[in-house]
Amino acid sequence: MKRRPVHIHLLSCADVYSHLCDNLDSKLDSESCRKIKAHLKECKNCSALLDSLKKTIYLYRHYPAPKISAKARKELFAIIHMEKEKRKRTRC
Amino acid sequence: MKESHHTPTDAQLISRVKKGDERAFSALVQRYEHTVWGFAYKLCRDKEKAEESFQDTFVNVFRKIDQFDGRSKFSTWLYTIVANNCLMKRRRRKLEDLLESYDEAPDVEDEEVQKQLASWDDTPAEKLLRGELKEQLDRAIQQLPDDYKVVFVLRDIEQKTAEETAKITGLSVPAVKSRLRRSRMFLRQHLHEFMKQ
Repeated sequence: MKRRPVHIHLLSCADVYSHLCDNLDSKLDSESCRKIKAHLKECKNCSALLDSLKKTIYLYRHYPAPKISAKARKELFAIIHMEKEKRKRTRC
Repeated sequence: MKESHHTPTDAQLISRVKKGDERAFSALVQRYEHTVWGFAYKLCRDKEKAEESFQDTFVNVFRKIDQFDGRSKFSTWLYTIVANNCLMKRRRRKLEDLLESYDEAPDVEDEEVQKQLASWDDTPAEKLLRGELKEQLDRAIQQLPDDYKVVFVLRDIEQKTAEETAKITGLSVPAVKSRLRRSRMFLRQHLHEFMKQ
């Protein structure tokens, strides 16, 4: 990995990149988190990347899924019923 | 085990299912159908396939309930069955190389990379409901190999911890983390053209 020289608060964009992908919503107040936050405040590329990653996750999280159909549920219990009958027959 | 008159626990229901109680099985299905359905749909992105996966999962639960020893949460076991079901159906594709390239941080001094980092448009909820965006989201996630998709859905959509995701998928925690990182970058990249301002 190409390491950038340290410009902003002793962290390179590559350092920030690896952390961004691990824990996007970290609310921790550790030394490394404070450095990342400081970097993000000043680096518009890293901050745009973080924002777009968060939006990607938001979109997938809020993607509306259809409801399960009554037919699928009914079919499931019909299969289970058949399974039970099969078990009974094998016992006999 | 003393059973309360109110809501039976998972362990109580499972113990009754093991003894052949059909009503306990129905109660277990009712309790977890939305979990299984939601996860199956998010993986399959297709109603018919998700229904098949939903049914296969509960049929497997019925067949293999004796194998469930209660050492992990019942929901973890369910997620494992759905994930295995999904993984068994399809084989991984040749995207591994491309995904591994996301391990490297982008070179932010490169002009092309800077274009890729341009801010995204705001995404109000209504926009998500628009067919076009849904299609983009489906198309992008469908391109991920299934083991990556499972990790992304578990971690970022179902909001499971890295440890629980590792337990469900049988991967190590570092493997979960690297798959998650690559998946996020891959999906972001595929939505970029649509989302940039």
